[in-house]
Amino acid sequence: MDPLIAIGAGIAVMTGIGAGVGISLATGKAAESIARQPEASGKIQSVFLLGIALSEATAIYGFVIAMMALFS
Amino acid sequence: MNEAASEGLSLGERIAEALKFRTIFTVHFGSLSVPVTETVVTTWIIMAILIVGSILLTRRLQEIPRGAQSFLEAGVGFLNDFAKKQLGHHAKFFAPYIGMVALFLGVANMISFISPMSGFGFEAPFLLKPPTRDINVTAAMAVMTILVVLFSGLIVRGPVGWVKALVRPSPIMLPFNLLEYIIRPLSLCLRLFGNILGAFIIMELIGMFVPVLVPPFIGLYFDFFDGLIQAVVFTFLTTLYIAEAVE
Repeated sequence: MDPLIAIGAGIAVMTGIGAGVGISLATGKAAESIARQPEASGKIQSVFLLGIALSEATAIYGFVIAMMALFS
Repeated sequence: MNEAASEGLSLGERIAEALKFRTIFTVHFGSLSVPVTETVVTTWIIMAILIVGSILLTRRLQEIPRGAQSFLEAGVGFLNDFAKKQLGHHAKFFAPYIGMVALFLGVANMISFISPMSGFGFEAPFLLKPPTRDINVTAAMAVMTILVVLFSGLIVRGPVGWVKALVRPSPIMLPFNLLEYIIRPLSLCLRLFGNILGAFIIMELIGMFVPVLVPPFIGLYFDFFDGLIQAVVFTFLTTLYIAEAVE
């Protein structure tokens, strides 16, 4: 395999950095707001799930691009 | 994967081998031959599981739930409540679709966990892999969802109301609102596909280094938990998009 392809796939997977930071921020804020208002935990949880799904998507796009580079 | 054939292959080649969709059999329509892949057969198995399960569970319903019926009622009630909370009075119409998406994706993502493990010497037709690692399946699900969103918006709001919703809050937003109909199914499709494929590749890698004993326990996280979370996320986003279209 061309080493450039492997390097490109590695760079594509670096989108995981952004997703990690985003998910950790969302988790921190969710924990904070549940501690502040435990009775709203149901609503917070659904918003939190949606948020992590959206921020995780960036990592997944990078992963899919890396897979396409490696195996197509 | 066939061990004898995989000897002497590099790691990348073995992964690429595991990612291929094998053709189980081919259907001929005159000159046209349609290959039926592993994905389709696995989907049939999932459909069989769901249909037989529903028939068995709803065969003898009683006024006072007992045994399996109490679990069934709790599950159906949970899905209905979830739809009602998000969709209000439209829930009665959309709850079956939402429940169907949740059930199908839940079983599809976890099928490799409930199928016989590779560590016990099972070979390919009996070793089920999640069909959602095929981008065609997730694309079909995403297109179905966006069609439901489109038509429910058109029917509930009427054509004029639908066009009015497109230019909200101002006509400058029109291209972005139109783009949403492309971006939403694309992101739904790629999110599910990427997650399941990632978990699948990690499980394949673990299976190559430690073939016995370890994969079931790590599979508890990657197959079971991750699959469940992704099914929940897909269902949740579907519900949210429908709720936005019909509100």
